[in-house]
Amino acid sequence: MKYIKKCPLFFLLLGTGLLFSIIAIWGRGGIYSGQDYDPMKAPILSVMFTAMNDDIYPWQLLERESVEAGSDNVKVQEEAPAPENEEVQLAGGTPSPSPKATSTPIPSPTPSPEVEQTPLPRLEPLRESTYEEYINHVSADIYGDAGVIRAAEYEFTTVEEGYFDDALFIGDSRTVGLRDYTDIAEHADFYCETSLTIYKVMEENFKGKGTIEDALQNKDYGKIYIMVGINELGRGTTEDFMAKYTEVIDTLHELEPDAKIFIQGIMRVTGKKNSSDAIFNNSNINARNNAIATLADNQQIFYIDINEVVCDEEGNLNADYTFDQIHLLGKYNDLWKQFLLTHGA
Amino acid sequence: MISFSSLEFLFRFLPIFLAAYFVLPSKYRELVLLLGSIVFYTIGEPVFILLLIAATALNYLLAVQEWKVGEGFSLHEWQKQARKKYMISAVALDVLLLVMFKLLGTFVDNSLLPLGISFYIFKMISFQVDVYRKEISVKPEFRHVMLYFMMFPQVVSGPIMRYNEGEFDLDRTCSLEQFEEGLQYFVLGLGMKVLLADRLAILWNDLQMIGFQSISTPLAWMGAAGYSMQLYFDFWGYSLMSSGLLTMLGYNFIENFDHPYASKSIGEFYRRWHMSLGSWFRDYVYIPLGGSRCDKKRLVFNLALVWLLTGIWHGNGFNYLIWGIVLGILIILEKLFYGKYINKIPVLGHLYVLAVIPLTWVVFAITDLGQLGVYFGRLFPFLGGAGIAVNRQDFIRYAQNYGVFFLVGIALCIPAVFRFFEKHRKNPLVLLFLLVVFWCSVYFAASSAGNPFMYLNF
Repeated sequence: MKYIKKCPLFFLLLGTGLLFSIIAIWGRGGIYSGQDYDPMKAPILSVMFTAMNDDIYPWQLLERESVEAGSDNVKVQEEAPAPENEEVQLAGGTPSPSPKATSTPIPSPTPSPEVEQTPLPRLEPLRESTYEEYINHVSADIYGDAGVIRAAEYEFTTVEEGYFDDALFIGDSRTVGLRDYTDIAEHADFYCETSLTIYKVMEENFKGKGTIEDALQNKDYGKIYIMVGINELGRGTTEDFMAKYTEVIDTLHELEPDAKIFIQGIMRVTGKKNSSDAIFNNSNINARNNAIATLADNQQIFYIDINEVVCDEEGNLNADYTFDQIHLLGKYNDLWKQFLLTHGA
Repeated sequence: MISFSSLEFLFRFLPIFLAAYFVLPSKYRELVLLLGSIVFYTIGEPVFILLLIAATALNYLLAVQEWKVGEGFSLHEWQKQARKKYMISAVALDVLLLVMFKLLGTFVDNSLLPLGISFYIFKMISFQVDVYRKEISVKPEFRHVMLYFMMFPQVVSGPIMRYNEGEFDLDRTCSLEQFEEGLQYFVLGLGMKVLLADRLAILWNDLQMIGFQSISTPLAWMGAAGYSMQLYFDFWGYSLMSSGLLTMLGYNFIENFDHPYASKSIGEFYRRWHMSLGSWFRDYVYIPLGGSRCDKKRLVFNLALVWLLTGIWHGNGFNYLIWGIVLGILIILEKLFYGKYINKIPVLGHLYVLAVIPLTWVVFAITDLGQLGVYFGRLFPFLGGAGIAVNRQDFIRYAQNYGVFFLVGIALCIPAVFRFFEKHRKNPLVLLFLLVVFWCSVYFAASSAGNPFMYLNF
């Protein structure tokens, strides 16, 4: 008692530390099973905190339903690729509590009747991600460049800025740059947020502006531009990403059947970043771009790639255009805008 | 691990170290601290630990020789000469080491600059001069000298404690109250670093990401203010953690910051900012040169030299030199001309400090001189910095995102706020506040540990 009186903060820290550790150990097999944890580097209680980033909170230990809701959150991110799902999970030490989602593409959207040309069918992946690729966070190039080549055959037209009057832009911090440092926002609506991912895109509330579904219900959009994917690198496999991406594109199409959807390829990073980062590098970006490009039907859904105008000869983001190797400097967002103006459909 | 705010330090190194320190019989405490410090430094610098040990041993040997020569009630002239020789050779050796590694770090590779060398070499120089000046009254023992140079709470970034302040020869008592007090300072410092400085660092990073040419003038000023606070809470927070740790172990609390932003002149600011460095330059450079008790020409020279050295000490970019020169000029002008007027009107002094210091920090922050010019162009657009693709509304969004950090930061810059906390530190509400601060800091440390991009989500 004397000690507690003299060192109250010390005992408070000790007590809460023990409590958090117990919570973490308790939840280890349940709600915290998706959290990476290295005992050499961090205390067990750190999983309680890392889980909060995935919206998994300690009190969910007490509620059975919430436990499942919590698991749903990890599902999309941690899914194993191969059919030997269970063994992979055990070996990888990151068991996924979720049921397996199919990675087979959902049937293509119905074409508009007035178009005579038939929409391109969706392509199947050429192979599956391997276990090595999965545990090393490598995005496998399972589609090859067939989708990209096919999408590029479309003859895009040059348009005026008024083209963006009925456009909706969806994206992460890079699209924030496009919004803030070009005048497109004078025409178009922007639903973009730093660290946005394909997994969160339909749930995100955009700082109180409402969800994308709300936006599509409140206004008739003729064009929807989307660029997400850099934040998801290293998370899940190309199959997981592609499954979610397909779902989102199909949902957007369903909600706004007449709108043209422009899938924008993920912008690459600089050569310096590319060669020094195991996750945020261009081979991972290209693999995922090759996947999402296959969604283009060249009638309602298009694939465009701004890497054509912001990359150097080696295909890396031009180092002069960026400070942090990832984002365009404010003034170079104009390159992006000009690119969009020459890629109307 | 060498960062006090990392999980490895907080939950691996520190608990094991503290347990060993307090559970083992008290006669082993010095040994535990020394071993802990060697482990700590070795993890950060597996190779240069040898340099630290070698420099420590050499400094000790020279100091002991000097001490032996100087024993006795009154000294003969030859003894005085010999002592001086030892002191000068020791200081020359230390300066040489520092200059050599600074040059290697600048011109060859940054990894050749040993961790904390600027700090521990300054300790070594002060130690040699203090021995020479007979300010150290008990003959230093090797274990104490090792402890003084290597103790892990100070080895990376100071404070540059004096040997005497360590009171190494006294019996160390570690009371529970003192432990608690130190812990409170540690937690407070941790919060300043993780919850304020590291958050504000994202603002500065964002400005660089956008490109200085595209930021609006209000945002440029906000960036300057944000960077000023980021630097302050980063370093004050670190200093509180360092001194808090030492207080927990039974040493004196070393004050390194005394609410500098409440100063009324630049000179005063630097008597209250990184005080252990300022007083080092005062005692070992400025006063030996004659200080302010000499003619005006000499005074100007002394101040100029001190500030040139301060600039060089801080980093290897040309901008640090400019930073030191600008501060030197301002302090000289204050001493010779307008200082006395400012002193009479406190409001003017405060405004002067709050306007000028952030501008000097901008010089400190931007190593590329071209970019520095662009930034000043945005701060003062009438000087011809038109900007490219500027978003005039940008500051509104940043004010929304960072407003709370600015408010807390500004509150902590007011001396009364901090003193109120110190006075009521046993209040349960304050304890609860510190508890929350600690776990919030751990939250950020944990979220960024697995994902280094947590700070910089795209």
